[in-house]
Amino acid sequence: MISNKAKKQIDAWVAKYPEGRQSSAVMEALKIVQAENNNQLTHDNIQAVADYLDMPGIAAAEVATFYENYNHQPMGKHVIRFCHNISCMLNGADDLIAHLETKLGVKTGEVSKDGLVSVKKVECLGACVGAPMFQIGDQYYENLTIEKIDEIVDGLK
Amino acid sequence: MVEIEIDGQLVNAEPGEMLIAVTDREGITVPRFCYHKKLSISASCRMCLVDVEGAPKPQPACSTPIADGMKIHTQNERAKASQKAVMEFLLINHPLDCPICDQGGECELQDVAVEYGSDVSRFSEGKRLVAPSDIGPLIQTDMTRCIHCTRCVRFGSEIAGIMEMGGTGRGEDLKIEPFLAEGITSELSGNMIDVCPVGALTSKPFRYELRSWQMNAVESIARHDLTGSNLYAQTYKGKVKRVVSGDNDNINETWISDRDRFSYEGLAHEDRLLYPQIKVEGQWKEVEWSVALDYAVKGLKNNILNSRNAQKLGGLASATATTEELYLMQKMLRELGCENLDYRLNVKNLDKTIHLPSNIKLAKLEQVDYALVVGANLRLEQPMINHRLCKAQLAGAVMNALSVKEFDFNYPVGNTIVSPNQIASTLAGVLKHVLEAKNQEIPEYLSTLTPSSEATDLANALLNSEQAVIILGEHVLNNTQANSIANLITEIAKHSNSKTLNVSATANALGAQRVSFTPNSTGMNVNDMLNAEMSAFLLLDVIPEYDFHHVDSALAALSKEDVFVVSLNSFGNELVSQYADVILPMAAMYETSGTHINIDHKLQSFSAAVSAPGEAKPAWKILKVLADLLELPGFHYESSAQVLSEVAHQSEVDHEYDSSINLDEATPAIETIWMHSPYQTDELLRHASSLQASKIGQMNAASMSQATADVLSLKSGDRYLGVPVDITDTTADQCVFVSSNQATNMGGLS
Ligand code: SF4
Ligand code: FES
Ligand code: FES
Repeated sequence: MISNKAKKQIDAWVAKYPEGRQSSAVMEALKIVQAENNNQLTHDNIQAVADYLDMPGIAAAEVATFYENYNHQPMGKHVIRFCHNISCMLNGADDLIAHLETKLGVKTGEVSKDGLVSVKKVECLGACVGAPMFQIGDQYYENLTIEKIDEIVDGLK
Repeated sequence: MVEIEIDGQLVNAEPGEMLIAVTDREGITVPRFCYHKKLSISASCRMCLVDVEGAPKPQPACSTPIADGMKIHTQNERAKASQKAVMEFLLINHPLDCPICDQGGECELQDVAVEYGSDVSRFSEGKRLVAPSDIGPLIQTDMTRCIHCTRCVRFGSEIAGIMEMGGTGRGEDLKIEPFLAEGITSELSGNMIDVCPVGALTSKPFRYELRSWQMNAVESIARHDLTGSNLYAQTYKGKVKRVVSGDNDNINETWISDRDRFSYEGLAHEDRLLYPQIKVEGQWKEVEWSVALDYAVKGLKNNILNSRNAQKLGGLASATATTEELYLMQKMLRELGCENLDYRLNVKNLDKTIHLPSNIKLAKLEQVDYALVVGANLRLEQPMINHRLCKAQLAGAVMNALSVKEFDFNYPVGNTIVSPNQIASTLAGVLKHVLEAKNQEIPEYLSTLTPSSEATDLANALLNSEQAVIILGEHVLNNTQANSIANLITEIAKHSNSKTLNVSATANALGAQRVSFTPNSTGMNVNDMLNAEMSAFLLLDVIPEYDFHHVDSALAALSKEDVFVVSLNSFGNELVSQYADVILPMAAMYETSGTHINIDHKLQSFSAAVSAPGEAKPAWKILKVLADLLELPGFHYESSAQVLSEVAHQSEVDHEYDSSINLDEATPAIETIWMHSPYQTDELLRHASSLQASKIGQMNAASMSQATADVLSLKSGDRYLGVPVDITDTTADQCVFVSSNQATNMGGLS
């Protein structure tokens, strides 16, 4: 279930914590396993991580479902992580998300037909000063408008 | 001790203890949801906010430690306002569906809302809904009602030893749910129903049955294992409708096993015997009590008494019987001049039986720093004893198991897995190493033995501990070297300063021992009886296919043409109908008064919570009347309490036992250890349908190693004596470990 390469990466994280505290590496382990699994964590993936770290499956699931970084459905090549927390919301994030949904013909959480993009609502990404904002990959896009969004999304390949 | 002030009243308290513990002790009401005296503190619900002078904000009483001179207000405006505000928040998403909620009337949320809630809600937005999920046949979930107190989650990780429930999602999407599709599987799961303050987790078998105020709660004692958990049977119109746990810190604290909680369902099973029956010319007839008793007495007289042949009478009883029942039955047999009596029906060889005292109390078990469990699947066989060890482990104790198979403990255990014929030699190795370490003389039988490395490890662990306990379990009962194993444990304990706990016989076995329900040297034990020419048997709650080790010889002995059999049972059984001549319907658990003796040798008496259905009668009354009709003296009892006081006046007989240790006994090439599923250990359990439907109730496998499978020419999925074969490397060679939920005739393996 978990490749040897991924296990090596997880072990490196486990080594950073005191002996017997291997479960502290659960966030990184989930990330590593998600990365080698089409950017998605299935029930079995979560259980495998839990087994590998010798912790209850539900405890790993609590982490995996708490953070927006983990995806539980298939995701597109690019994931637009749209902040809808307070600052962004006050600055019109909901309307922009609705625009994006219509433009791509998907609901949040779904993948566009060509498999290229999916949109996900996330909580505050710490960029309130540039609200409304979203994140694609490692890149933040701030002070979004409908025009700006169209331009960014049309440029995705 | 420091002095603090609560609501203007001076109170003494320990520094550092939590405020809520003090208010509870003083009888001052502080509302709470997440706090539970036996669970860790999560301080997440905020319902317990109180005003502490000097603190900038209201403080949660459940997580505010006491300091000298503290002044606390639980009722002032600030406290009340906070409590009211929290209540309003908690009700935002709560469905308020009390009229259709099973918790109604015994709901902490309902009670607290009445006290602290407001009558209108300012929340006009939509409420959250949580899709229903099925977590098994015992617990009904309605998670829309959940207030996220996490008591059930903490119960899992701290008490049940496995975290099964958890909180997934976040914010408004937070949901309490199990991760596994099979739902909740813990043997203690029903306690989540008790800890859940709202109607999110309720009893599934009890769903939509009754309101709590309609029922009477009768204190009672669980009789399925050696703990004797304290509980309440809640009854309505003469039926037990639900069982909830009672509090007793020396016994079950505040928890009960699922076995104790849900077994009552069996009481209403359609197989219950309602009328006395006699077999006339091969045909069963339901008759009046007087007719049946006359028939029984006449049969006994014709077959034995008239010919003064009391030594051709045998009395056999199940160890689930009450102490009073067993006492009366032995008294009656002995008055008749019969010394053939036994309750150890499942023991293969009674010439060499286990003798091992239990010399550590239940409550002390959680203080051990080392435990060695020999031959037991403790978690399922003795759940509350295991729970104490689980606590010890959480406090840092080291646990080892010496067994033929790896079992799923709910705490880490170091396993030493050996074949049945190596258990004795491994323990002998442990003993030798202990003796050497203590510079003691090595006895003759150990002189040539070289301890295995596993034995040395086990011995060192014992020697490194201060308070160790060695536990001997049921799987060793029929080991060829059973008595040597027990005697080795006695020796090891003696020289390593350890305690011992004998859980090899369960239910009320200690009650049976107390009243000497075993023959003295002039009588026959069960296996002798089965092989002798008998003329009559008196059976108390005996079900042949489950109870006897030697099922075939038992059936043969009981079915002989000229053997007269009087059988007291609470459930009908086909084989019983085949061999019995009279069947007398007896009351089951909760329907009779009596006494159970637990592992602490504590006599716990209980009264009948309900009366038995139909014409069934408590067995002590049946036995008393039978004795009267047989014109035996000394049976003028009016209550079971009278019987018990007579038991109390009898001195305990010290039985002689064989303390020899013999490591050279021939052992079989493949030994079968046959265990009934933990939910099939007595008749009531076997008829409790929800327990049977649960994961533990469905256990049915004959585990063996590949090598054993090769010898027996079996593959995974094949059947071994009717049970599906599971080939696993967690079972030692030279043995088959069967855990079966089937009624089978194959239990008796020669
Ligand atoms: S299900 Fe009950 S016990 Fe569990 S968190 Fe919800 S309210 Fe608390
Ligand atoms: S609220 Fe959107 S970045 Fe903080
Ligand atoms: S009981 Fe104190 S915060 Fe819940």
